[in-house]
Amino acid sequence: MEQMVHGILVVNTETIPGMMITETLGVVRGSTVRAKNVGRDITQGLRNIMGGELVKYTELLEESRQEAIGRMVAEAMGRGATAIVNVRFATSAVTAGAAELFAYGTAVKTE
Amino acid sequence: MAEWAVIIPLVVGSICMFPFLLLAAGGLLYAFAYPFMLIWAFFTSGKRLDDQIADTTSREISLRDSLGRDPLTTLDGGYRTDITECGVVWAGVVFGPSHWHLLIGFINNLIGGSIDILQKVVAAGRAEAMQRLRENAVSNGYDDVINVRIDTSDMAPQGAQSKVKAVEVFAYGTGVKYG
Repeated sequence: MEQMVHGILVVNTETIPGMMITETLGVVRGSTVRAKNVGRDITQGLRNIMGGELVKYTELLEESRQEAIGRMVAEAMGRGATAIVNVRFATSAVTAGAAELFAYGTAVKTE
Repeated sequence: MAEWAVIIPLVVGSICMFPFLLLAAGGLLYAFAYPFMLIWAFFTSGKRLDDQIADTTSREISLRDSLGRDPLTTLDGGYRTDITECGVVWAGVVFGPSHWHLLIGFINNLIGGSIDILQKVVAAGRAEAMQRLRENAVSNGYDDVINVRIDTSDMAPQGAQSKVKAVEVFAYGTGVKYG
């Protein structure tokens, strides 16, 4: 949740305000599949009967998303990019209690 | 020496079986607690949902009053030229109906038509995710969030034997600071 992730600017707009995109370096992506332990799954299952927010699953997805973005940024750094534009997120539940988080965007060079 | 030949496999076996025993114990606990929790949900879940909606709405109104406007837009941001800083911000909430609400939804489903109770639950989760996006953007020092996208995904995939019935609402956008 920083403006700069390891020196790379990440935005979900097509352009970066105040900067010129000089070169596109292709699509970069990062994904992760994570799960909580069995004990958490049981307590969250019990909590779900009452309804409302499942706090531990919210935390799980937040951690996973940080990791997915970190992997995307690492790939962009490997290509020598300075920014990632038009970032999109996708979530899918592979099996019960395990979520796949996927982030992708276009790596660009700016000046 | 003969007793070690019995004890070592027993110890190794019980260590290997431990997660499955925990799973079984959890299943038993769930099965035992379920009727009581369902009765408890019958009495309290409606009020909890109303409290949640009231809390989100009051935070939204107080933030809007302090800023003078709603910081979220779905526009691309091309309408302002004085943007100095930008960066991605996001907020996600996993939100589910209580099983009592699911039961009401199931009965509604038999009759057909709109299922108002489930719509209310998902709308509450979505309002909460959008409010957290506003709060994240403000706490990171951004003035506005442009190009907001809202994504809803099912946490209980079809076919999986999941006890959890919930959706994840995920809101993201680009935070901008005006110079």
